[in-house]
This record gives sequence, structure tokens and C-alpha cells, in this order.
Amino acid sequence: MKATFSSMKTIVQKELREFIRDRRTLMLALVLGPLLTPAIMLGILTLAESRAKSQIEKPLDVPMVGVEHAPNLVAFLAAQGIHRKAFSGDLDTAIRTQVEDVYVRIPGDFAKDWHEGQPAMVEIVHDSTRQDSDIPVKRIEAALQQYGQQVGALRLLARGLNPGVAAPLAVTHKDLSTPEARRGMVMAFLPYLLILSAFLGGAYLIIDTTAGERERQSLEPLLATPARRGAVVSGKIAAACIVGVTSLLLTLLAFKTGAQFSPGIGRQMDVSMPAIGKMLLILLPMLFIGTSLLTFIAAGAKSVKEAQSYMSVLMLLPMIPTIALMVSPVKNQLWMFAVPFLAQNQMLLKVVRGEEIAMPMWGVYLLAGFGLALVLWFAATRRYHQERLAISA
Amino acid sequence: MIVAEHLRKTFPAKGKDKAPVVAVDDVGFEARDGEITGLLGPNGAGKTTTLRMLYTLMRPESGRVLVDGTDVAADAEAARRALGVLPDARGVYKRLTARENIRYFGELHGLDAATIEARTRALSTALQMDDFLDRQTEGFSQGQRTKTAIARALVHDPRNVILDEPTNGLDVMTTRGLRDFLRHLRGEGRCVIFSSHIMQEVAALCDRIVVIAHGRVVAQGTADELRAQTGEPNLEDAFVRLIGTEEGLHA
Repeated sequence: MKATFSSMKTIVQKELREFIRDRRTLMLALVLGPLLTPAIMLGILTLAESRAKSQIEKPLDVPMVGVEHAPNLVAFLAAQGIHRKAFSGDLDTAIRTQVEDVYVRIPGDFAKDWHEGQPAMVEIVHDSTRQDSDIPVKRIEAALQQYGQQVGALRLLARGLNPGVAAPLAVTHKDLSTPEARRGMVMAFLPYLLILSAFLGGAYLIIDTTAGERERQSLEPLLATPARRGAVVSGKIAAACIVGVTSLLLTLLAFKTGAQFSPGIGRQMDVSMPAIGKMLLILLPMLFIGTSLLTFIAAGAKSVKEAQSYMSVLMLLPMIPTIALMVSPVKNQLWMFAVPFLAQNQMLLKVVRGEEIAMPMWGVYLLAGFGLALVLWFAATRRYHQERLAISA
Repeated sequence: MIVAEHLRKTFPAKGKDKAPVVAVDDVGFEARDGEITGLLGPNGAGKTTTLRMLYTLMRPESGRVLVDGTDVAADAEAARRALGVLPDARGVYKRLTARENIRYFGELHGLDAATIEARTRALSTALQMDDFLDRQTEGFSQGQRTKTAIARALVHDPRNVILDEPTNGLDVMTTRGLRDFLRHLRGEGRCVIFSSHIMQEVAALCDRIVVIAHGRVVAQGTADELRAQTGEPNLEDAFVRLIGTEEGLHA
């Protein structure tokens, strides 16, 4: 047992020393990755936020056709910050070619219908597949609805009726979401990002020290030493986990720093030290699962190239629960915390949303996570016992 | 002392309905301490597979291997401690220096730092690798890589040494140096087994020769015994007669 641990220590030290001497890979794994992802994510979120804000608050210039038929309506829209924009040419084409987002058309018989008390048509023309038009369309719609209600109420009053008669329902929203949970919505894809970097964080090192060592013909001499196969596998997995944890910690700290600099987003996620600690604990089983699985795969692959081509498939795995939950959201149940990827996703969301995680959930989660990791570790060790593993040619 | 008895190894054939490939069939020989035993045979004769069974990387289907009198199947770990192995694959770690490569294996053998240091110094002198000992092995010549691989294989001072085609790809000077080193090992009373497909090399170095062809031992003994057995006065002709082709004669 003592010999096994001492071999493991030797292997961890050697793998880490080799990894550190490979400057470029080191930079990529520990500096660029952890810095770039939070930077991109915070950048995109800041951009989206500022765009939404400007679209809601800024005056909106919209081309309008047939304004002469409804001068009062146009004046009302202008008072709501929706101004008429001069435009010559075919507006339908302008929408299709994405020159304009939206335009308003008031047909010729608007005035006639209006005076007769018939519903008078106003058209909002837009392309619903374009995200850019969402906010302007909603704003115009809301303004038109408001105008319609006002005029309707006035008409009822003029006929001596209470306008309330025509409004049997008074629908209002009461938002019970906590401020912490509203932060969470923005960070819906943070879990995927973190799970992915935990799952594949040690990939480079594992593939390089398993399939790579065989390709470089140094595995056979290594396996001819008295070091136990179990110690060799565990040492390599441990080295990859150390690199993975370091990279995760740096990623989370980068998020923390980034959150301090980006005012809007910073307040939208929990990046306190206890939260970071919890996230690391949640991601730890995932790291073990990922590195053990990759060791298992890399030890069975014929070449580094083959081992690497599994990566694109593996990258999709953590996405499945995120997408499934997006399509059909379900309530948290205890069994979910035993399903890999789904469990991590739910746990991380809870932490980001600032919710408490009950003890049974922790129990089920850690047991299932480390249990699966143990099974994969065992499978990887079995593969290391195969004869053909050592044979490089 | 290494004894191989009736070793047999087959590999599953590629594709359906094909008979398994018999790589080694009923190979047996004895390699004594203080002698150099040469495994001679053309490419694909089964030398490497035989050696892999000796150093426990492969498990023979039948037969057994004894290292210093104990069966390797019973305690593979002890056998590996008693063996110093230069396998066919001799990749060194490119980002480590030659010294660190040697130290890594020393630590895996459970040696303490002082012992590793002393052994490294001794091997470095014997193999003439002082001038590149502390360089990272990236960009090493074939000879420098082989010397590093041999040094790390012998760091634990094993009684038995197995070398799979050690002179492959080496120039004449390095080969000569290596031969002297092997004689030096023999002089220390070790049991040395090495394989080669080059007849001249085996003839120059070995006390006993085991000729392998098509997975079987076709002859074994000293050079004189082989000449006597075949009735050929010239060892080269004896070799050709034994393996039935002229393969492997050209160094």
C-alpha cells in the first residue's frame, strides 16, 4: 500500500513537471481558458443588457404609411416616443432586406371605419424571425393597445356607460421571484460552461499521458517497472485532477473579478467566496468522472487522434440536461441529484440563485457523483491491465 | 538467471474465420548468469514477443518463465524488480532531462534519492553520457536516447538484463561502446539477454545463441556448437541453413 502511494506521488510529480514545462499548453489551460470564457460571457451579457435598455428607453423612429388617415393616432404615438420616420421606396422590401425592423401601415378606410365606430385596422409589419424587431414591435403594440383602450373608454363615457363594463377582468402580475433568482436567469448557461470545463478540464493531460505516451513509445518501459498499474492510472488521473481544479478555481475567480467590473451583471450572480467554494465542491465529482472516463477511452483508443475525436461527442453530453430543461422545465426532485450532468446543472443553478441546498440533496449528489467516478476509475484500471495497452506498434 | 520453458503465444486474427496467428510456439532456453545470451532471428520471428513474456508484459498461454528460480506468473512485481528491461519501445520523456528520466524510473523502483544519484553517476560514466545528462531529451540523437533508456532501465542495479535490439539505429562508434558496456555487465556477473536480427553482432558478443525462426527455437548453443550442428564452417552459412532463408544477414 505504501509502495502504491509512493509510486502515485512519483507519477503525479512527473506528469505535473512535464505539464508545467510545456509553456504554451500551460498558458492555454491555466490562463487563456479561465480568463477568456468569463470575459466573453460577461461581455456578451453586458452587450445584451445595454442593447435592451437602449431599445426600451430611446425614442423609436418608425416608418409609417398612411399617416394622413389618422393624425391623432400618429400624434399619440409621438407622445409615447414613437416617431414617424421619412422613408421612400418599398417598405416590404426594406423589411426583407433588413434595412428596417418594422413599419406601421394605416389603410385608406381607417378614417371611415373610425367615424362609423367600426374596428379600424392598423398593421404592424415585421419579420418575426428577426430578434432585432422584437422590442420595437412590442413597444408599438403596447402603445396602440393603450390608445385603443383610451378611445374605447371615452366612447363608452360619451354614451353614458361606465368604461369598467367593457373590462370585466383586471389582469395584473405579481412577481414573487427573489432578486437572487432574477440574477440566476441571466446566468442560465453558466452551469453548462462550468460543467464542461470540469468534465473536460483534464482532457489534454489524460490523452497526452495515456494515448500520447503509448504513441511516443514510453508506456511500455513504464509498465515494465514494478509500479502497480493501479498506481500508474491513479497517479495520472490525480495529476489531471490537480490541473482541472486549478483551472476551475481560476475560472471562478475570473468570474468574481469580472463581476466586480461589470456593474449590471455583477449584481446578477452570487460570486461570494462561500458560493465559489460550493461550486468547486459540486464540480469535483464531475472532474473525477471526466478524467476517469477519458482515461478509460484513451487507454482503449489506438491513437491520440482517435482519443481526441471522442471529445466532440463528450462535449455534447453536458448540454443535454441544459437543453432538456429549457424545452420542458421540471420541478427539482431528489432523484435528479443522482443523474450526472443534470445533478450538477441543478446544484449549480441553486448556488447561483442563492438558494439553500438541503442535506439529503448533498448526500445523494456526492454519493452518486463519487460512486460513478469510482466505477469509471475501476474500469480505467482494468483497461490498464490489458496486454495490448502497452504495445505501441 | 532466466529460464523460459515451452512458451507459446497466439494473437487473435483480424477478420472472421481465420486461424489465430501463432507468434511464439514452444520456445524454451536458459540464460545463465555471467553470460550474454543472444536471441537471433529474422524480423517477425517472435523475438520481441518472447522477450515481452520474459519481462511479464505479456502472459504466455502455456509454459512458464523463471527469473532467479521463481515463476514470474506467481509474483510479476518481484520479477520486474529483478529485471532491467530495454523494450522495443524506448521513448524517453522529452520535457525531462536525461537525469530526470533516470530518476523517475528509480523512484518507481522505490529507490531513495542518494541511491539514485549514485547509480546515475555510475551508469553515466559507463555509458559515456556525462555531457548530455542534464539536457532535456528533446532533440537527442538516437544514440543519446538509447543510452538514456538503458540507463533508466538499469537504475535499480538488476541481476538480469533484457535488451530488445539495443543497437537498432545506432552508428558504428556507439554500437562498439554499447558492446563494451554489455561485456562490462557480463563481467559483473549479470545475466544478459539481447535480441538481434544481425548475425555478426550476435556472433561478436554472445556466449550462447538461441536461433528463432517462425516462432520456434531452431537451434541453440555456442557459436562452435551451431557450426558443428549444421556442418557449416562459417557461422553465416550456419545461420542461413538454420532459418532456411537469407533474411537478416545484411546489417
